[in-house]
Amino acid sequence: MGKLSLCTSSQTPLIRFNAGYEGILKKRGLQGKSLDIANFVEGEDYEFTAGGVTRMIFPLLKQMLGRGILENPHWVSLNPIAPETVTIGDITLNHVRLGKERVSGYGQAKETIWKTLHGIQKEPAGSLFWQDEFVDYTYYNRVCSELITRLDEENDFDLFYVHDFQQLPLAQMLHTLKPKIFRWHIPFDESLVPEAWRQSLSLYFNEYDAVIVSCKKYLESLKKFGYNGKAFYIYPYIDQDAYKRPSFGEIELFNKEFGIKQDDRVLLVVARLDPMKGQDGAIKGFSRVAKSFPNSKLVLVGDGSFSSQGIGLSKAERWLSELRELVRKLGMEDRVVFTGHLTHAELQAAYERCELTILPSVLEGFGLVVIEGWLYKKPAIVSSEAGIAELIKHGENGLIFNPRDPSDLADKLSAVLSDQNLALALGENGYKTSQQCSLEKGVKAEAELMQGLVGSEGTRP
Amino acid sequence: MTLYDFLYEIAIFVVILSMTFIASRIFSLIIRGIFRTWVPVVRAHFQRLVSVTIWVIGLMFAFQQLGLRVDFLLLVLGLIGVGALIAIKDTLENIGAKYFSDVYVPFKVGDVIKVAGSSGKVIEINPITTVLLTENEELVSIPNSLFLKEKIENVTPHVWKEILVPITIGSNVSLPEFESEILKACNKIKKYLDERFPPVLTVKSRNRQSVGLVLTLMVKEPGKKNEIIEEINRKISEIEHKIGRGGAQHRG
Repeated sequence: MGKLSLCTSSQTPLIRFNAGYEGILKKRGLQGKSLDIANFVEGEDYEFTAGGVTRMIFPLLKQMLGRGILENPHWVSLNPIAPETVTIGDITLNHVRLGKERVSGYGQAKETIWKTLHGIQKEPAGSLFWQDEFVDYTYYNRVCSELITRLDEENDFDLFYVHDFQQLPLAQMLHTLKPKIFRWHIPFDESLVPEAWRQSLSLYFNEYDAVIVSCKKYLESLKKFGYNGKAFYIYPYIDQDAYKRPSFGEIELFNKEFGIKQDDRVLLVVARLDPMKGQDGAIKGFSRVAKSFPNSKLVLVGDGSFSSQGIGLSKAERWLSELRELVRKLGMEDRVVFTGHLTHAELQAAYERCELTILPSVLEGFGLVVIEGWLYKKPAIVSSEAGIAELIKHGENGLIFNPRDPSDLADKLSAVLSDQNLALALGENGYKTSQQCSLEKGVKAEAELMQGLVGSEGTRP
Repeated sequence: MTLYDFLYEIAIFVVILSMTFIASRIFSLIIRGIFRTWVPVVRAHFQRLVSVTIWVIGLMFAFQQLGLRVDFLLLVLGLIGVGALIAIKDTLENIGAKYFSDVYVPFKVGDVIKVAGSSGKVIEINPITTVLLTENEELVSIPNSLFLKEKIENVTPHVWKEILVPITIGSNVSLPEFESEILKACNKIKKYLDERFPPVLTVKSRNRQSVGLVLTLMVKEPGKKNEIIEEINRKISEIEHKIGRGGAQHRG
């Protein structure tokens, strides 16, 4: 079977260089626009970007390379502080840079789109496509399409794989008949699309040969919206082998760093700092049961997204202040812990140490953190508005609650905290369900889809 | 005539034939390069026509060099030419109709039309025919000449609102910057446009020298189409001056 030559594109880059990138180059004695990641030190010079999109694409590319399905993949993303290209194994990361004003306009436009599609946009957004911010949004996508066109001339790709709503216009911009796949990572509810946007979004969607969404509910909505191409749902997936059992020492270190005592009962929320993630609901729900379970602690893991850090939007900081204020008002300062960003080793310790996980999102594309918790056999209490809720059989492998009703969450917390047998059963069954989101399964589904579009096999010997 | 003169004339005859051969090949290659976007069969016919013409002229010169009369040959060729024109009358009619339909007939590839009892989506317009894909997934080929004689209905939704402005920019022009200027210019005339359909710039062709684009706008009132075309062309000219060398060329 021939190999596929793939170009993928996502707004979020795989790696984020730490501030003072120019200094890093000087320190390492490096020059040039194209550098190998082996020249840099993880943690010191750069970090892998958190978030579901890059956490799926990277293992997907690695697995497909390892199985001989792919050859020389290229990945285009927005990365203002990075070399033009970075190679990481056989993968070439191509970074797009934008000026500050363009980034600002682009950021505002995509924020409006994101809020609207999540149903939380307060101002009417119908006229967005006629505003200067949308000109910047289009500019960013056109810069990407021009770069992809140049890369295609050099590499003669077999297909293009575009990720997430920020880059939806790309297929319309690419002047090629080669297959184009789009993966929509956020929730898709066609009833939330403003009337004034429907024609444009429909045009953009229908330029793709195939569209993938994260669950059945979004697939139905996409078809109802009027997408005429091949539509699929593939559950998001993670590399489950990357989640190891932490050592006793690592757990102790985690406890010490965040002031968690030996007999504390840890309730864990892992999510970036964003109002949509519903950390406020988790705090309110927890506050109602905190007295009944005096040694329980709510641990909130996560910091801002790439948008709130990499391209300068300060949403995460504002949200963190609001959450701290809420905790203060509820008198829960000694019961709620904000850890900020955790390294992978620390995150493993957090999962192992916790008693249950909560996904409190007001609206969530899927919710891979539930899978992560399940890998440690922890019971999950999941928002009914998350894509992953369709995998939950209430009372069997998890509990579902209404994220807008703190008392509902409080009830579910009480149920798990007070019933050891229920907690154990939910954790065990959850672990079995997690296999539906294995990398193995995801790669198989994605590879079949790609090969089907290209014509059963790639063009490379 | 001496043997030397005879050999000299033969040599000239051979040289003329050789030059005719070379000229025929060169023109054939030039046609292939210039008209590469034509349907191959039409291009091949054109190549053959030019080649035959060159050979006829070359042979006439060559025979004249040998002292032979060419009047009769010209008469025969003239009659063959008239015969050929009559034989391919329909084809010429279709090619002519394609030229006029480019200018006057209101449909393009992708539109859904009804003509002469057939209806379907236009999937190809070549110099001879227009190909429709019907709802039953059958292909219907309509001779282009029919479009100048029959009533055509374009039933594509919102098509009456559509304005397509072809633009060509130099390949040294930054397309993202150019597009930004175009979108800002369109935003200034948005009161004339249907706000549900923001302007869309599409790349239609690309080579080392230039990029061919089409700007699609949807108007609120079809009666104002000409005014809007004038206005947007004026704005494109301004952008062309602003971005300087390698600028844009556009039609309405």
